[in-house]
Amino acid sequence: MADQELELFIHSQGERSRLAVASPREVLRDVLVRAGVIKEGDHELLVFVGEWDGAVREPVEVEDGEDQHEPVNVLLTIEALELHHHRHVHVHKCKRVAVEVNFTGHTKRHRFSPATTIGVVTQWARRKFKLDGAAGAEYVLRICGSTKQPRPSEHLGELVDSRTCAICFDLVKEVTPQG
Amino acid sequence: MDKPDQRLFEADLASAAFRAGVQKGYWGLAGTDVLPQQPTWPLRILWIAAVIRTNAPDRYYVQLDSSDYRAVPPTGTFWDPATKSLLEVAKRPKGRPDSRFAKVFRTDWESGRAFYHPYDRVAAKGHPKWTTEQPSLIWDNNHTIVDYLEEIHLLLDCGDYLGR
Repeated sequence: MADQELELFIHSQGERSRLAVASPREVLRDVLVRAGVIKEGDHELLVFVGEWDGAVREPVEVEDGEDQHEPVNVLLTIEALELHHHRHVHVHKCKRVAVEVNFTGHTKRHRFSPATTIGVVTQWARRKFKLDGAAGAEYVLRICGSTKQPRPSEHLGELVDSRTCAICFDLVKEVTPQG
Repeated sequence: MDKPDQRLFEADLASAAFRAGVQKGYWGLAGTDVLPQQPTWPLRILWIAAVIRTNAPDRYYVQLDSSDYRAVPPTGTFWDPATKSLLEVAKRPKGRPDSRFAKVFRTDWESGRAFYHPYDRVAAKGHPKWTTEQPSLIWDNNHTIVDYLEEIHLLLDCGDYLGR
């Protein structure tokens, strides 16, 4: 049981997520090198474990908040990093992603961990704009200046440009099919 | 030998995005607990989790026809593991009247044989205007079965879902 291999979901910027299989005693860095996500000598990249959802518990009145998700030491083992629980690993140049969400002429901002799903950012935005409950369920995020509505399971780190570490969304009502 | 569309579909079932959904209990391929083996390609039976509602199941099964996958989207509807056939209308998930949920899972169109959604092949073919009305939901060959399942899962997990 203790040596049972785990499926890990590896996320990095501009790519679809990758699957890696690892044993509990492996060092995370070795797994990431084997998966081709980092190379020997890469020192700029930050590695986060888990999917961060702290923003959904942020009090509504807080403006310009920031997540507290810290990068991990990749020389630790899968077991020590509790990846049997976390499962998701994010490799990114940005420690935080500055997100702006626009709705009805107003803008809310938060500095998210790159390991945050679009689903969490959407929940945060609905709360900030007081669109909780069933009525808010049809509001989704669209990348500013585009028609792209990322899937809720996508991660900010996969979408954001690592040169800017920032992204803008409009909160829009999902179209109901008609006709 | 498997066909190219079947190989692509099976590769997507092995992808990180699909496996992550399985790990979270959001969806999966129907197992031997409900049918001895999957039907002949291009049909596949999958399950999708639903939020808890009184007297309603915690998951629904769908039968999807994925011929020519990914060039065209799948099509299909709810499936009954008890009868091994399409789920009768009375047992299908119900939504708040006039909601997007109610529209997507409507049963008064095409006899309820497909979902009323741009990711469904039958619905998309019959509604060419949707490409301009819902440009974010135009299926192309970068889309996978995960996009399809995530749309259905979101609806079954939302406040507009009332139960069965």
